[in-house]
Amino acid sequence: MTNENIVELKNITVTFDGEKILDRINLAIKDKEFVTLLGPSGCGKTTTLRVIAGFVSPTEGDILFDGKAVNHLPPHKRQVNTIFQRYALFPHLNVFENIAFGLRVKKVPEAEIKKQVTDMLKLVNLSGYEKRNIAKLSGGQQQRVAIARAIINRPKVLLLDEPLAALDLKLRKDMQVELKNIQKSLGITFIFVTHDQEEALSMSDTVVVMNEGVIQQIGTPQDIYNEPKNAFVADFIGESNILDGVMKEDFLTSFSGREFTCLDSGFARNERVDIVVRPEDVDIVPEKDAMLLGEVTSVTFLGVHYEIIVDIGGFKWMIQTTDEQKVGDKVGLYIEPDAIHVMKKSKYSGMYGDYSTFSDEIEHLSDLEEDEN
Amino acid sequence: MNKKRTDFAQKLISAPYIVWSAIFIIVPLLMVAYYAFTDKSGAFTLDNISGLSRYAKTFGMSLLYAAEATVISLIIAYPLAYFMSNMKAGAQRMMSMLIMLPMWMNFLIRTYSWITILAKTGIINTLLSKIGIGPVQLINTPGAVVLGMVYNYLPYMVLPIYTVMVKIDKSLLEAADDLGSSPISRLRRVIFPMTVPGIISGITMVFVPSVSTFYISQKLGGGKTMLIGDVIEMQFQSSYNYNLGAAISLVLMVLILISLAVMNRFDDSEEGGILI
Ligand SMILES: Nc1ncnc2c1ncn2[C@@H]1O[C@H](COP(=O)(O)OP(=O)(O)OP(=O)(O)O)[C@@H](O)[C@H]1O
Ligand SMILES: [Mg+2]
Repeated sequence: MTNENIVELKNITVTFDGEKILDRINLAIKDKEFVTLLGPSGCGKTTTLRVIAGFVSPTEGDILFDGKAVNHLPPHKRQVNTIFQRYALFPHLNVFENIAFGLRVKKVPEAEIKKQVTDMLKLVNLSGYEKRNIAKLSGGQQQRVAIARAIINRPKVLLLDEPLAALDLKLRKDMQVELKNIQKSLGITFIFVTHDQEEALSMSDTVVVMNEGVIQQIGTPQDIYNEPKNAFVADFIGESNILDGVMKEDFLTSFSGREFTCLDSGFARNERVDIVVRPEDVDIVPEKDAMLLGEVTSVTFLGVHYEIIVDIGGFKWMIQTTDEQKVGDKVGLYIEPDAIHVMKKSKYSGMYGDYSTFSDEIEHLSDLEEDEN
Repeated sequence: MNKKRTDFAQKLISAPYIVWSAIFIIVPLLMVAYYAFTDKSGAFTLDNISGLSRYAKTFGMSLLYAAEATVISLIIAYPLAYFMSNMKAGAQRMMSMLIMLPMWMNFLIRTYSWITILAKTGIINTLLSKIGIGPVQLINTPGAVVLGMVYNYLPYMVLPIYTVMVKIDKSLLEAADDLGSSPISRLRRVIFPMTVPGIISGITMVFVPSVSTFYISQKLGGGKTMLIGDVIEMQFQSSYNYNLGAAISLVLMVLILISLAVMNRFDDSEEGGILI
């Protein structure tokens, strides 16, 4: 039972200079799972990885590997390897020696090292680069050396701290696929850190959303997107209209001045709630069929669709549509019951999900661009 | 066009340095060479150089003592730099200050003070006789000369090593830990190789002045240990044989260059250029 989880964090709290950086983190990671820690800058993702790797000792709580506490095990004795946020390749060693480092430390015979490093170079597509100087590699190549240097040790758990952040979009997409393949073929547990939500959703088995040192939600990418626990998660993952609402009874809620049928239940009668409606789930319909009426205040063309802002009784909605609309148009909106997601009130209620500042932001940005030119 | 102008501007800016190095480096070197290959009347001769075999033993001893002093300095300096680089920022500044402090004092006075420490009636011997160990010959021994060199030049070993060591990115040390290195193996595989440029500068900065010193050997060696520096000094100060003095200096310079070149071969990293 206990051995099912390869890594477990129990009530981990980390305090630096009297400030709580991690606050009672509880996380159980299964063998061969791809877990992603996702959250804004400074929320404690790197610190969580450092606790697991052994570079930070928690102020409180336990770290368990295979059910055994390892709080006092120094980093070099832990069965995990890390790909650091900025790779941390050894500048005095060439590509071959960087990758061979872990095996040399373990005093593996020379012939075996040669064979394994050669295999590894093939795996990360760097055959023929053995003698290259690390400083003369491109970002993507350095990143692959970092991957090879870590996985040659066959760790049970690999910690990856924003390994793709420094790469351009195209290379990044390729590396996402490559990493995922490596993870599957070698059967390694990945604990992956990113603040890119798309990356998190597309790669992971489990996503852990963090903010201010607290885990906000743990779930599959689908759970996190479709059933966000609170306004922070809803806003951080994708675009969301988050409205103040009331749960009239099971399967019936009210917001924006009218009642809607929904699929949510289990709330108290007349409980105040947060309502999430994703911009792509709102349909634009003729006024006679509409549930809500509003006026278009801004239109942005994004290629696949238009992103329009619609003012409904003072609240600005974001809606994605393929039909062209013009600023000032009156539009009717229709929302299916399954497009409505109801959340309990949280400390983040009212902080996110209103696009009333949206058009100003855009103008502000274009002002900045003009200034630069 | 534009590029040409910057080139010209650059030349203009560097002109004073070129003039400076011409006057204070090239010209003296040429003068040394001139004196070395001429006799008193100014006629060309190789006698000065060919007569130097007399001093082979002195050359050898100077190189040996300087090498001893350099090795001892390195053995003291490396751990010191290592511990310093692991201290808190404030303590590091304090330590660098303490290490540089003696350098603010005159070199002659520093060496002189060792005489009072090592003399027959000096501090050490007074203490030793209190616990019943008779006066020990400390001053005027080769050991005292090497001690003087180590004492005077140690900061020049510590500081370059320390400077390179604190610049090592902490994440590299963590990477080494992460890949399973014990602290010893980390020192051997990461810290040491990365501090080689500092070690080389340190060795240069201790070895070169040690090999050519004369004051230390006179004061702490009591004239018994005659080093090549003393011989050179004698040619200029008492024998007034500038030609021989210049010849010895020239050969010493060549020997130093050879030593440094040999040592530089151990540093295959790109920063090896620090030396020159
Ligand atoms: N050694 C330290 N001493 C004091 N504060 C620290 C230390 N390390 C991290 N912090 C603080 O802890 C907080 C979380 O840092 P952490 O590096 O874990 O964030 P992160 O989620 O990885 O952010 P990013 O996405 O920017 O990498 C930050 O506010 C940071 O300033
Ligand atoms: Mg980070």
